[in-house]
Amino acid sequence: MTLVASFDWNFIWEHIPDFWTGLKATLKVAAIGIGGSLAIGIVLGAARAHRIPVLNWVAAVYVEVIRNTPILVQIFFIAGGLTQIPGHPIRLEPFTIAWLSVMIWGGAYNTENFRAGFEAVPWRYREAGLALGFSRIATFANVTLPIGARIALPSSINTYVSVLKNTSLLTAIGFAELTDTAYSLESQSFKPSEVYLALGATYLLVVWTLSALVRLVERRLAIPEAR
Amino acid sequence: MPDWADPVAHYMLHQGLSATLRIAAYAVVGSTVIGVLLGTLLTIRFRPLQALIRLYVEVWRGLPILVTIFLVYFALPTAPVIHHRFGAIAGAAIGLILWGSAQVAEATRGAVQSIPTEQHEAAAALGFGWIGRHKSVILPQALRRLLPPLVSLLANIIQNTTIASLIGVTELLATGQRSIERLQLTPPGDSHAFAIYAALLAAFFCISFPLTRLAIYLERRLVSL
Repeated sequence: MTLVASFDWNFIWEHIPDFWTGLKATLKVAAIGIGGSLAIGIVLGAARAHRIPVLNWVAAVYVEVIRNTPILVQIFFIAGGLTQIPGHPIRLEPFTIAWLSVMIWGGAYNTENFRAGFEAVPWRYREAGLALGFSRIATFANVTLPIGARIALPSSINTYVSVLKNTSLLTAIGFAELTDTAYSLESQSFKPSEVYLALGATYLLVVWTLSALVRLVERRLAIPEAR
Repeated sequence: MPDWADPVAHYMLHQGLSATLRIAAYAVVGSTVIGVLLGTLLTIRFRPLQALIRLYVEVWRGLPILVTIFLVYFALPTAPVIHHRFGAIAGAAIGLILWGSAQVAEATRGAVQSIPTEQHEAAAALGFGWIGRHKSVILPQALRRLLPPLVSLLANIIQNTTIASLIGVTELLATGQRSIERLQLTPPGDSHAFAIYAALLAAFFCISFPLTRLAIYLERRLVSL
């Protein structure tokens, strides 16, 4: 009983501004990461689906490497490994490391999502576009992309939610996003249950809101039932 | 191989990889057992139970794994009644199990529901109760459909064990980082961070790639059957 009473609501209330600062950083990194992975997904997904020489193989290697290695190791590789390349050290700003690492990760998953989406567009649609005199690029932009992207929508949305959740791992390099903010708050206050329950609730709020919003958009964009 | 690499590789494989595989083994077994159970229960048409399991699945799927592990490892010991502090390995494994079992529950629900109603009816006609029907008739058939996602889960869990390094478990990633620090402090002071992180990527790739290929193979075979 006393322990339940000892849960310090006031502490959470007082530190809402801190959580808000962290959340803003998380959302900023996630937004850039999601936008970037959308662009990567469309370009490389198209290269994979249309078997464009060289780019197709590069994309295949990129996808397999990223999907089969832990994102945490990727983050450390970018933050700590690239700075130690013998001869040509690459030093990046923490913010750059943050959005770059989640974007590279999301881009690989999204390439697969869009490849599958574009490949699901019936071949005869593309033939019809070409027969009407559209160039290959115009056919892609006007036929394959609008249909294929909608087929890829549900799986790519899962990737975007994962990109947002993965920003929490940036705590490992001390980037001050939501989880890192909570972590430092806890190490100053020694109130783990207050801090981490508030942290979990914030993530659930964001992730569930995002999923609900996205489901709304999905319903609007979904391909009408085939007749 | 250069001089520095030999002891580092030995340390990483013996200390690091074994801890990684141990956490992964706990997490996979725990996720499968709890996930299959919850997924099967989710097919029962009883609203309160469904709502409860749904909540479990949505919460642990919605939270980043790192946050789940922080909750288990840092926040749970201060909660009323429990007062138990898990070791770092157990804390990480439990965090992964919460996440993994939510994934398996979702997959199991789909797999069980894909078994035709006739199978349920035939088993019931033979006198099986609910438990016997699921244990002997439905789940063995659902397992075939469940195998590809379980193999993918194994690959994902092995990758996600690296998160355990953030609460102080000396698994593969942590042993790599400690080696980098040690090399930096010993003359000539070259950390070899690029080589060690690249080796870590390669090691995880060698474990994970065959598993993801296997999952794709199983998936294809299932479709053709």
